[in-house]
Amino acid sequence: MGQTVSAQGSANQAMVDKYRNNFLREVEANVEEGDWVKMCMQCGVCSGSCPLGNAWEHPPQELFMMIRAGQREEVLRSESMWMCTSCYNCIVRCPRGLPITHIMHGLANYANRLGLAPKMSPTRRFAKIFWDNISTTGRVNETKLSIRLYFMDGFVKGLKTAFAMRKVGLGMLLTRRLNPFALFAPGGIKNKRQLQQILKRAYEIEDQRKGFQ
Amino acid sequence: MMTEMVASNETILVIGGGISGMTAALEAAECGKEVILIEKNPSLGGRISQLYKYFPKLCRPSCGQEINLRRIKANRRLRVITMAEIVKLSGSAGDYAATIHIHPRYVNENCTACGACADAVVSEIRDPHNYGMSPVKAAYLPNNMAYPQRYVLDPSIIGTEEAENARAACPVDAIDLDQKAQTIHIRCGAVIFATGWRPYDASRIEPYGYDRYPDVVTSAELERMMDPFGPTGGKLVRPSNGEDARNIAFIQCAGSRDRNHLPHCSRICCMASLKQSTYLSEQFGEDADASATIYYIDIRTIDRFEDFEQKVRQDRKVRFVKSKVASIAQDPESGKPVCRGVDTHGYDRYENVHDLVVLAVGMEPGLDLGSILDTGHGVALDTGGFIELDDANDGVFGAGCATNPLDVNRSVQSATAAALRAIQVVNRVSAS
Amino acid sequence: MPAESKTATYICRGCTLGERLDTDHLVQVAQSECGSHLAKSHDYLCGRHGVELIQNDIDNEGVTHVVIGACSRRSKTEAFGFGTVAVARANLREGVIWSQPDLAETREATQEMADDYVRMACAEIKFMQQPAVNRERGANRRILVVGGGVSGISAALGAARAGYEVLLVEKTDALGGWASTFHRKLPDREPYARFRENGMDDLINQVETSTHITVFLNATLSRTSGAPGQFSVDIATRGGTASTENVGAIIQATGFSRYDARQLPELGYGKSADVVDQAQLEEMARKSNGRGLVRPSDGGAVESVVFVQCAGQRSDKPGHLSYCSGYCCNVSIKQAMYFKDQNPQTDTNIVYTDLRAPGNGEDFYRAAQLKGVAFTNGSVDQVTVDGDRLAIQFRDEILDREEVIHADLVVLATGQVPNSGIDISAEPAGEAGSVHGGQARVPVDSILNLDYRQGPDIPHLKHGFSDSHFICFPYETQRTGIYACGPVRRPMDIAQSVEDATGAAMKAIQAVEGAASGRAAHPRSGDLSYPSFRREGCTQCKRCTVECPFGAIDEDENRYPVFNESRCRRCGTCMGACPVRVISFENYSVDSVGQQIKAIAIPDEFEDKSRILILACENDAYPAMDMAAQNRFEYNAFVRVIPIRCLGSVNQIWVTDALNAGFDGVMLMGCKKGEDYQCHFVRGSELAHERMGKIADTLSQLQLETERVEVHEVEITDIHRVPQLINDYAATVDGIGPNPFRGF
Repeated sequence: MGQTVSAQGSANQAMVDKYRNNFLREVEANVEEGDWVKMCMQCGVCSGSCPLGNAWEHPPQELFMMIRAGQREEVLRSESMWMCTSCYNCIVRCPRGLPITHIMHGLANYANRLGLAPKMSPTRRFAKIFWDNISTTGRVNETKLSIRLYFMDGFVKGLKTAFAMRKVGLGMLLTRRLNPFALFAPGGIKNKRQLQQILKRAYEIEDQRKGFQ
Repeated sequence: MMTEMVASNETILVIGGGISGMTAALEAAECGKEVILIEKNPSLGGRISQLYKYFPKLCRPSCGQEINLRRIKANRRLRVITMAEIVKLSGSAGDYAATIHIHPRYVNENCTACGACADAVVSEIRDPHNYGMSPVKAAYLPNNMAYPQRYVLDPSIIGTEEAENARAACPVDAIDLDQKAQTIHIRCGAVIFATGWRPYDASRIEPYGYDRYPDVVTSAELERMMDPFGPTGGKLVRPSNGEDARNIAFIQCAGSRDRNHLPHCSRICCMASLKQSTYLSEQFGEDADASATIYYIDIRTIDRFEDFEQKVRQDRKVRFVKSKVASIAQDPESGKPVCRGVDTHGYDRYENVHDLVVLAVGMEPGLDLGSILDTGHGVALDTGGFIELDDANDGVFGAGCATNPLDVNRSVQSATAAALRAIQVVNRVSAS
Repeated sequence: MPAESKTATYICRGCTLGERLDTDHLVQVAQSECGSHLAKSHDYLCGRHGVELIQNDIDNEGVTHVVIGACSRRSKTEAFGFGTVAVARANLREGVIWSQPDLAETREATQEMADDYVRMACAEIKFMQQPAVNRERGANRRILVVGGGVSGISAALGAARAGYEVLLVEKTDALGGWASTFHRKLPDREPYARFRENGMDDLINQVETSTHITVFLNATLSRTSGAPGQFSVDIATRGGTASTENVGAIIQATGFSRYDARQLPELGYGKSADVVDQAQLEEMARKSNGRGLVRPSDGGAVESVVFVQCAGQRSDKPGHLSYCSGYCCNVSIKQAMYFKDQNPQTDTNIVYTDLRAPGNGEDFYRAAQLKGVAFTNGSVDQVTVDGDRLAIQFRDEILDREEVIHADLVVLATGQVPNSGIDISAEPAGEAGSVHGGQARVPVDSILNLDYRQGPDIPHLKHGFSDSHFICFPYETQRTGIYACGPVRRPMDIAQSVEDATGAAMKAIQAVEGAASGRAAHPRSGDLSYPSFRREGCTQCKRCTVECPFGAIDEDENRYPVFNESRCRRCGTCMGACPVRVISFENYSVDSVGQQIKAIAIPDEFEDKSRILILACENDAYPAMDMAAQNRFEYNAFVRVIPIRCLGSVNQIWVTDALNAGFDGVMLMGCKKGEDYQCHFVRGSELAHERMGKIADTLSQLQLETERVEVHEVEITDIHRVPQLINDYAATVDGIGPNPFRGF
């Protein structure tokens, strides 16, 4: 997530050049658990098991078939895999044992790296907010996270959302799941610098492995 | 009690009295070989005796069974022992010793099947012939085609007054309440395991709610429902309330082709469901307002079965949906089962309410061979536990569904082949 | 009946027979009315003492013929089987007391029923002999196998390993057939993920080194005659030499021919050398021998290959096969693996409608996916040449759109066409070749060249396969002692063929053993009776030779029938066909049934005393009636039931005699006829329907209502229906009134 937009663009072009028309091979090489895609037998149980299935333009097994058919742009620009909430229903039920949840996240991640992920996808933006939140301090700051999330579409929208969610918020406050002082207290783990170093190194290894450099 | 049964190293022992075991035993016996056929249930017949019709001819299993029983009755080289299970097999080709456990029937060969004992008994048990879906008297004839044609007393009434009543009612002194389990040893030259299959336990397919929803049944149970002597008296109804089941869903690969359950394809289930889809016309009429929906991944009706598939496809009542149903829920109002999933041809999400859902359950081997073998050699099994053909198996052979998920026709072929393989062994013995 | 014959009748009083019936009267009927030398009743006839009583009379009183008045012949069969004497059973339990109400007012009718069944059994036994073994039997135990492919080889080895001599006839110059041309074979055991060496060299070697097998190469059968245990075959070799051999049984393992892919120009076959069928690809793979598969057209590399499933199969288009050959999905998987193993970068795409990899084939399918073989659910419309590549146009069913992909090579998964010889039921010679599975075929040569009256090859069933029609008896062919196996029966892969061939070898061995001891083959296996005929009465009408479902009967030079007893399956269809009633069996004849009909007492008055004769197929209708009685389902007391071997054995004289004797109606109950016929004697039920259709004329000549004779199809499971049928018919008969011949 540390790449610039132009770096993303050139990375995308590099991949296009490298794999020509073979998007499946590209997915196998670059997407987390991507080498499972070919094992799909098109039974449809993943799509049917997904609790948010209605929200998907292309359910998982269609994505797999599109990958097979080389529909690179449609897949990578799709919002579908961003809909996955990691309930793991599909993984549990897939008769071929495909780690579908992981593949969905892998695809999303890959699309994001190439700068093809839909910019305004709320789940993508949530993911970014969440990541920024947790990777800064090493701990999730629920209060900051909620506020950033509520206000990501502007102040008025944020107020409206906060008002709509007030009962939940109040409940969380009462059960001490939400600490208003956390807004001001930095919190986090002891050695944040070390965490940053670990993450940086992890990025490097990952990029190297996936051919981004 | 230990008994030795008169047999020799030229005797062929066949384990399992279903269609495969009967076939293997008869083919060998009609070739002049001494054969002992053991069956764990009180009657021969196995799974086919629980089938309503055979595909693709839609003919009756008891028709062929009648012929086989006549062959058995006429053949003095073939001895049948029922309620008998093999517990150990030792030795090698030409010299096996089988340890057989015989459960008490509490009815001896005096029985004339007159039914007086059943009249004297009030208690009921879940009828095993109907997969427990209906009751039967605790003194019962296993089914109309039962062979031996002899009653059975369920162990649950032994020691009660009812058992005494049954004994008193019997005019021919056929009830023997002192019968005990016994163990016998059989010497034989070759062994054929025709131990068949059992339906995959549908309750393990959690999203289908077989153990939660009464209107979700297995394909095996549907066969019993169609039988006029079955649990619903031959009526295609919802088990929950007895209403007509005019809108039936068939779910293919229920437990098969699935690494969470059975990794193999059970081969017969496509044809079974296609066959069962014709029951709608039979029950409600050709032009009835009725429908069958077959949810499938691939329709595997190979060779001549293709004709049958094409015939079924011409029936407007039958709809094919390429989709493995993801889950079954219950409609809160009607209580009917609802199939949820995605049609992979064009990605239509569906939520279809049906009167009855039939799970086309897969086949598992009927016997775990590993616990029985104490031979000088192993027996090759595939990963599903089915018996493979292997020279190292020596004088042990599989027949029918003990070797693979097979339809009846292929089972009989397999059993006929197994009979020859066993004959090869005992002929070697007699030649040497 | 031999001079020293002595009949004894035993009436059982058990199972409440003694309470429900006047058994003393039954003893009296047997003794004084029917002339039974001995007649006794017993409390429990099937019990040890009862059986001992009978056995003692046989051993010490010279009893040669036994009448048992007890339960149905289907019950206590073993107890009442005395081996050395003829036995007739009067069905007093299922046939009388279990199917009749236990009421004071019905007691008389029930007793009349029982009296009649004793009379019938006594009449039957007068015309029954315990069959003597046929003197015409042959004891040749050699097995002839026609076809030297994997099926034939497996059959030959199967029989040889059991110690039988085998003659193996192969029309080409080498053993092995199609299987030998395959580079690898499908997995038939673990690991199912991997194809295997075809193993044919080893099998051929086993044949060649076997001391029990004699191989004839370049050889065909120019003539086959005889019967099980005594076939005579002329083996003609291409060189012109011929030898005559005697064998006991024949296995036809003549395999298949490739579907002619030239009929598929729309799939590019014949338009480009780079469109091949699966057999060609096997050949290419075998010949490449590890050097890599290349394009046939230019020897160039194959970077992409598309497999087109169901090519010319599963289709109702003219010239296509309507069936599925069953093995082709697995073969394409295997062949795609050839390419992947050679170069994992090769694009391999299998375009299918249903991926048919049953059983452990699922493992093979998964293994191919793991290797990166792509599977596309769709149907190919067209393959065209596009420059030096091929364009495959298909409908992608999953993505729901038309697609075009390009490939260097296209493999068509075409099917198997059986080599089943001449279709003897087809139009007479001179017509263009018959149509099989929608595919027009050129006239073919006979395979067996049988000199049988009914034609030179075994009958074909649907799509030209030489298959048995029966699910539970796959080897029940229509030519006794001749068994088909392998792809000539239905499309098969190697593993299935081996299994099928082993089973066929089993049946062939059984056939020679049975023939040697004079026993009938399936379904009346073990029956020692055989047809005999009175030549002087024969009018050479040929009905028996034409109608025999098993082609057992030939004609001699004077056009008299020649029965070939060992080919006979003892169904009695010939007996039913014979207008002059000269054909009979020792234990089943026009008299053994006819005299039963005549023995039935027809009361003078009609009111509440109608009489209906039922001739019921012993395999389906009769057991259904037994089981109805077992469930105590009641039916009309005025019926008298005679079990018969097959409806085909019903001679019209029985029906006309019954009507002349005063029966008010006759019901014939046989099994299902038509395309999915259930009759194990093939056409028995159908023939009965045809013959009884003609009897209507006779009835109207006699001024009898046509309703007086009815034919029904009854299944063995019609346990509720049969009593209903009977009662309905009894009501019909009541409606039309008494037979005017009554009392004449």
